[in-house]
Amino acid sequence: MTTLAVKADTTSIVIDEVFPHRAEVLWKAITNGDLMGRWMMKPNGFEPVVGNRFTFQTTPAGKWDGTIRCEVLEVAPLERFAFAWRGGDEANIGYGSKLDTVVTFTLRKVQTGTRLRMEHSGFVLPKNDTAYTNMGKGWIKCVETLGTVAGEG
Amino acid sequence: MTNVMGMNTETTDISVVMRALADPTRRAVFERVAGAREITVAELTRGSGVTQGAISQHLKSLKQAGLVIERPEGRNVYYRAQPDGLEPLADWMNHYAAFWRERLDKLRAVLKDMDPEDPNA
Repeated sequence: MTTLAVKADTTSIVIDEVFPHRAEVLWKAITNGDLMGRWMMKPNGFEPVVGNRFTFQTTPAGKWDGTIRCEVLEVAPLERFAFAWRGGDEANIGYGSKLDTVVTFTLRKVQTGTRLRMEHSGFVLPKNDTAYTNMGKGWIKCVETLGTVAGEG
Repeated sequence: MTNVMGMNTETTDISVVMRALADPTRRAVFERVAGAREITVAELTRGSGVTQGAISQHLKSLKQAGLVIERPEGRNVYYRAQPDGLEPLADWMNHYAAFWRERLDKLRAVLKDMDPEDPNA
């Protein structure tokens, strides 16, 4: 299930799924650098220690060299793993601009395995309460589209 | 190499839309246009605390960003919100949502490799 949570001025991507594996296996897959490279992206300089700084190399865009700069924010074994995800370039405005977001993985043991909640938060959208009221239809449509398309995967 | 924030034609749109809405005054102008069926520069200026010239400049930026449409009639120009104007924002977020969906599918496969013995897998 994928949902889009709109909070204050930022938007998050949330994916919530149950995997038929023990939390220990899932924890290893998301916090081991080699394993991360097999499903997410290959991290450079990663260690599952709070304060560790690592990078992901992606395709450059405009003045941005394509480097995603990350910092481990939380490591609570078998429970929660969070890191900052910063990309873009100051010189770009809007898309491709400086992106300061957080990726949080939360694990919970369930009967059929482990429930994983992935939240990528902090996408700043030009939204506020007034905008929500006045632009109501536009934003609802925007969020609905996101939910629908994201849920199709 | 993974294309997470790649440049394509959509990125131009999102950049222009976000830049247009980044300015609080301009965003307020857009909100008022979006809240009205149609509105003139004079009406927008009234009670706004900014000059008509400033409002006109903001409208010009919003128009260039594809957020508002103008309709001249006689001596007046009427503005209204462009219905699909905000879609580039949705595209931007969809890009990330799609990225994570794809990654978690891969994660599922990796887990199966790591843990084939799991009776539930």
